[in-house]
Amino acid sequence: MNTREITVTVNGRTRTVTVDVRRTLADFLREDLGLTGTHLGCEHGVCGACTVVIDGATARSCLQLAVQSDGHEITTVEGLGGPNGELHPVQQALYDSHAFQCGFCTPGFVMTTYGMVAEKAAGRPTPCSRAEIREELSGNICRCSGYQAIVDGVERALAGTEQ
Amino acid sequence: MAGGSAISGLVGARIHRKEDRTILTGAGRYVDDVNERGMLHCHFLRSTVAHGRITGIDVEAARQLEGVVRVFTGADMSAITEDLSFAQPIPGLHSPSYPAIAHDVVRYVGEPVAMVVAESRYIAEDAAGLIEVEYDVLDVVASTTAGLAEGAPQLFPDVPGNVVHADEQLFGDIEAAFAQADHVVTDRIDQHRWAPVPMECRGGVATFDRATGQLTYEASTQTTHTLRFLLAGWIRHPIHQIRVIANNIGGAFGLKFSIYREDVALCAAAKLLGGPVKWVEDRTEHLVAAGHAREEQLTLEAAVKDDGTLLGLRVTMLLDAGAYPINPPATVYTGIVRTTLPGPYKLPAYQFSHKIVATNKASYISLRGPWAVETLVRERLMDKIAATCGISPVEVRTRNLVTLEDQPTKMITNVTLENVTAAETFARLAELVDLPAVRREQEAARAEGRLLGFGMGTFIEPAPGTPDFWAAVGFPFGAEPARIRIEIDGKVTAFTPQVPHGQSHETTLAQLIGDEMGVGFDDIRVVYGDTDATPFSMIGTGGSRAATMASGAVVYGSRELRRRILDIASHLLEANADDLEIVDGVVSVKGAPGASVPMSQIAMGCWLAPDQMPAGTNTDLEIVATYDGEGGGFSQASHACWIEIDQETGKIEIKRFLVVEDCGKMINPAVVEGQVIGGVAMGIGGMLLEHSAYDEDGQPQSATFLDYLMPSAPEIPEIEIEHLEFESDKVVGSRGVGEGGTVLAPAALLNAVDDALAQVGRGRVTATPLTPSRVLELLGVIEA
Repeated sequence: MNTREITVTVNGRTRTVTVDVRRTLADFLREDLGLTGTHLGCEHGVCGACTVVIDGATARSCLQLAVQSDGHEITTVEGLGGPNGELHPVQQALYDSHAFQCGFCTPGFVMTTYGMVAEKAAGRPTPCSRAEIREELSGNICRCSGYQAIVDGVERALAGTEQ
Repeated sequence: MAGGSAISGLVGARIHRKEDRTILTGAGRYVDDVNERGMLHCHFLRSTVAHGRITGIDVEAARQLEGVVRVFTGADMSAITEDLSFAQPIPGLHSPSYPAIAHDVVRYVGEPVAMVVAESRYIAEDAAGLIEVEYDVLDVVASTTAGLAEGAPQLFPDVPGNVVHADEQLFGDIEAAFAQADHVVTDRIDQHRWAPVPMECRGGVATFDRATGQLTYEASTQTTHTLRFLLAGWIRHPIHQIRVIANNIGGAFGLKFSIYREDVALCAAAKLLGGPVKWVEDRTEHLVAAGHAREEQLTLEAAVKDDGTLLGLRVTMLLDAGAYPINPPATVYTGIVRTTLPGPYKLPAYQFSHKIVATNKASYISLRGPWAVETLVRERLMDKIAATCGISPVEVRTRNLVTLEDQPTKMITNVTLENVTAAETFARLAELVDLPAVRREQEAARAEGRLLGFGMGTFIEPAPGTPDFWAAVGFPFGAEPARIRIEIDGKVTAFTPQVPHGQSHETTLAQLIGDEMGVGFDDIRVVYGDTDATPFSMIGTGGSRAATMASGAVVYGSRELRRRILDIASHLLEANADDLEIVDGVVSVKGAPGASVPMSQIAMGCWLAPDQMPAGTNTDLEIVATYDGEGGGFSQASHACWIEIDQETGKIEIKRFLVVEDCGKMINPAVVEGQVIGGVAMGIGGMLLEHSAYDEDGQPQSATFLDYLMPSAPEIPEIEIEHLEFESDKVVGSRGVGEGGTVLAPAALLNAVDDALAQVGRGRVTATPLTPSRVLELLGVIEA
């Protein structure tokens, strides 16, 4: 089996591991690190359920190989909450908005929203209107909600972000 | 009310969901998250031809690959399983049985032809790529028309003429109705194939314990108990040794109602190999092989009076069943369409005939309101009748709707209507819409070269339906049980046969129990999805039953346990039980808070020392309660849809969407609104974007999300909702809303499109989906 050693920081913890060169980042996170909060809904980069943050930018973990993350810093949905299980403000905003139903797409939307909030905190342009938020969410598919309550939650999360 | 420490007033409030902390933190346990020690992985090789005879299969190279544990051909699998048979004692139903893995003839692209079990999914897929299958290709039936044609290829020897079932039913004097008619209005629709497409694909993990002989199947399913009993027969394993578990489920929408051949093959393989085996299909397998819905062609002929009054209706329906039957039999779908189609309208005479046709496609399966086409055709017909008679779409409906004053009454299909408020929702919708203003706005837009359309519709949703409704359909109504236990510390555990996957039953059932018993929301846990723990139900979560049926079961159970607690407390407090109340788990005498006893103290006594509890009291704090539905009933809603059509690109933009709905008493408005909005979004996606397309050779054309277009946030409008909440005198006044949005939204949307087309002198929609190119054809911009 063709393998390579990589050093990667996931949710603040740096590890050096040997991975199969053809292993996707999503499978590496889920199977090798046990971080199953990152979900796979299509494995071809459309649905957004596998969204993670790599070096501060959102990315699809199904479209990358684990070896490509060598030397990089990754945040998954498991990395957002507080040490005692407190919800991250983004998670809290979505919770307060009754945003989701079955929960399968949820980690992807949480990470996309987390990315938006980080952009806003960094002073970069972020969506203001509900229509703009909808555009920004167009890379994540939810089959249950009809999106309206998710848009409520994203609005709430962005409103709670200090400029 | 985050966390919800409320002790009463839970029902009717926007209580935050118990489910949400788990799903927001990525902590759920979906099937693909299961990782048992020593777990093996399987992958199915699937047919690449739509119809063919397997003349050879070479699995040697796959077997030799390092890491491969076992390769099953169809013959190998049939040696350890029974063929799947969904045959039912329904007159005239031809329901062919079929093997878990094909070994003779394949009948759709995607049918399993081999199964590889390996140490990893990567290896299993590598090995499947090494298997060589030879097919003798047969002629393909790619449509109902082709299947019914003279000399058509026959899919099954036991389905003569490819007709799975055909029937005609008459209600009232249809000949007289047409003889009296001032107008005969005809209409037709060819609805395309589309699909439930939950974000989580199908899958399961089967674990066999050789020492005990127990098989545990953790599955992504809506129906744990039915999956269990069907599985038992087909893998030849005694049912008491099978446990089916469902934890988090990433959506289902009807798709996970049936058991599938992959479930059977997986469990049989696990039993043979003696260890845990996982199967999770990928998205392409899902889109090609998991099944599709809605492919139906209907024609209608209505006898009407000059003033738009309905006299009679003739309907014919063709249903493209795909190749293989699944659960439920397709006659249930045609039965619900036939029974529901008259809707909330007075209809004196009715004739309905159908043919269910086998084709070389994936199975026709349930999709959120599987009968939806009845509302689509009826509401489009109402608009056409209005146009024919020169009256407005409001007037034609108002003239024919059954009002509360008309009830109780019977539909022409022998279904009792009682407390049905479709007319009231429609009256309120019409009030909110202001049709003359809509027409003025359309005229102004046309003057600017813009094209606006407006459509509306109304309907009733059998959620849960009535016993006579289900008798007319040919499916059991079924009471619903729940088991409830007051624990030794006074907290409550409830066990429901529902298998929620987004419907929020952990929250709504706890709200009901909390209010009924006087126990805090956080002190209640709802257990679901484990056949070792939950009482039996054939349906699980489906048919929008839970709001009435599961609610009723926990309400009745809670009331009986409360009665037992109060009876014991009345002895301890030397007070009449009627003078007691329970607040936050403490029983006290009303108006005398000092005289109290905690439920925890009573519960501990009942569990540990029942003989020391007051004589003559019932100390059993665990019961199974059953709710018969009190005659059941319907939800109802009316929708209005405003669109703009871009006459250059053919794009339909939904400018506004309004829902007036009445599901009776709302347990949790946030949950109701989530169901309604999600349902409407699915209906819009199905009409405008989604298409499980096949070419004339039976090759699927939408095998990824680049071809099967799912609605994303920008395609879905903000949806306005007004609730009516009609109060009935039933103990449980709540009705389901899970499916209605998806049922009615397509009708309002298509009526809006027809309305726009009529303004530019073009004909009506006769086929879906309304993709931009189809809209340009309808506008006459491009050739059909």
